[in-house]
Amino acid sequence: MSDAALSATDVSRTYGDVTALDSVSLTVPADSVTALIGPNGSGKTTLLEVLLGIEPAEGGTVDYADSDALRQVGYLPQRPTFRPGDTVRETAAFYADLVGDDPNRLLARVGLDEVPDRSVEGLSGGMTRLLGIAQALAGDPPVLALDEPASGLDPAMSERIFDVIDSLAAEGRAVLLSSHALALVERTADQVVVIEGGSVAATGSPAELRERTGGPLHETFTDLLADPAAVVAGGGDGS
Amino acid sequence: MTSTFDRFWTVFAREVRGMVRTRVVFVLLAAVAVITFGVARAGGGPVGGYVPTVVDLLLVVGLLVPAAAFAVGYRAIADATARGEPAVLETYPLSPSTYVAGVYAGRAVALLAVLVVPLAALGVHVATTAGPETTVLASHSGVDSPLLYVRFVALTALLGLVTLAVALALSAAANSRRRAILLGLVGLLFVVGGTDVSVLAALDGGLVGESGLGTVLALFPSGAYRGLVFEHVLYVAFEGRSGFVPTSVALVSLLFWWAGSLSVATLWVGFR
Repeated sequence: MSDAALSATDVSRTYGDVTALDSVSLTVPADSVTALIGPNGSGKTTLLEVLLGIEPAEGGTVDYADSDALRQVGYLPQRPTFRPGDTVRETAAFYADLVGDDPNRLLARVGLDEVPDRSVEGLSGGMTRLLGIAQALAGDPPVLALDEPASGLDPAMSERIFDVIDSLAAEGRAVLLSSHALALVERTADQVVVIEGGSVAATGSPAELRERTGGPLHETFTDLLADPAAVVAGGGDGS
Repeated sequence: MTSTFDRFWTVFAREVRGMVRTRVVFVLLAAVAVITFGVARAGGGPVGGYVPTVVDLLLVVGLLVPAAAFAVGYRAIADATARGEPAVLETYPLSPSTYVAGVYAGRAVALLAVLVVPLAALGVHVATTAGPETTVLASHSGVDSPLLYVRFVALTALLGLVTLAVALALSAAANSRRRAILLGLVGLLFVVGGTDVSVLAALDGGLVGESGLGTVLALFPSGAYRGLVFEHVLYVAFEGRSGFVPTSVALVSLLFWWAGSLSVATLWVGFR
């Protein structure tokens, strides 16, 4: 793996009495896919939002590698929704024009160049997600943050989304995503960060995590959450 | 590389495109046309000239303009917030002030079309139905004139733009369509009735005497608008009448509501 495109050190965030993130540290290398996995409500989305600057961190630091890009990070929210009445091309053009990009390039990159005149309300869930990824690519940011890019999609579309993500990382971008699609995460991610209760329970490549528990990632995931302290003591300190 | 103006234009163009596509604007335009023509013709103003037409219209326009402005603006930012757009836009080099300016300008174009087109058509109607004395330009008091009507339309457009800014500020504070509707109704009631209620309360409480009444009226958008119309349209046509509200106070008041509301909208967008 190459240099860090994004790193967070001891990031914390609370909402009243609820601790959403507790001293989370992680490094997101360029040219790779880093996946955040964990139970619902474990803090994955909050962590993404803090790293994006959408939510303020109450402690710790977030650092992006120096870049000439007009946009440091592209973001795909968990449920991307676009302005009703606009077409696919108009939507892509709006975001592209904000950063002087070419909307046709963005649509071609995710395979939506065949349906530029389709209304955004007429898109399937998977195509909406692809349009969201096209939006995230506007301005060619070096880091992409994708929140549940395949949630609610059929297996074929989920696979297509992860294929696109894989190719984006291969072009030199750092991709940070959260997902419950563990089989696809295992196939695609270079690094997996297990989040539980707002803390990092384990970090490593899918193969490294599998070695610790001896099963595929969904079993590993369950084992890690069942006894996170043992895994962290084994080297997954989350930093 | 894009400039701040390019990004403003991108937001502005999207707003204009969205407003042109929605039927609401055309419904509003038709409603304003029907109501203004209906009220003016029922009052007989167009036959009498421009100033009689303004007299017929003043009350209804004072209600119609805020209603149209809120209809155009109450969802302007709330819908985007409900879609989660601010979080995405935060990753773009688009400042809250540029975003608000673009949304406001785009909606303002639609609102001006809704207000000015019917009133301009009514002005043409007056020109073709009133007597020949209405066609001269007023150079002194006591003369009816198309210039006075143009002033009325300009002041009406000004009230619309100020009210739209208030609607945008409330829209920015809402994070759902339901909340936007609620805040929009509260804002509309304030703009339409806020002046009168405040003045009555001030008079009743002894906070202001008759001498300060004009100034208090001018502190609120609709009061400032009515005062300016009296001062610069109606009283011009009647010898020896002036001083309804201080013009400077009314203009500063409208500027305050306009700039203050857009600043509040910008702060809300930035705060999210």
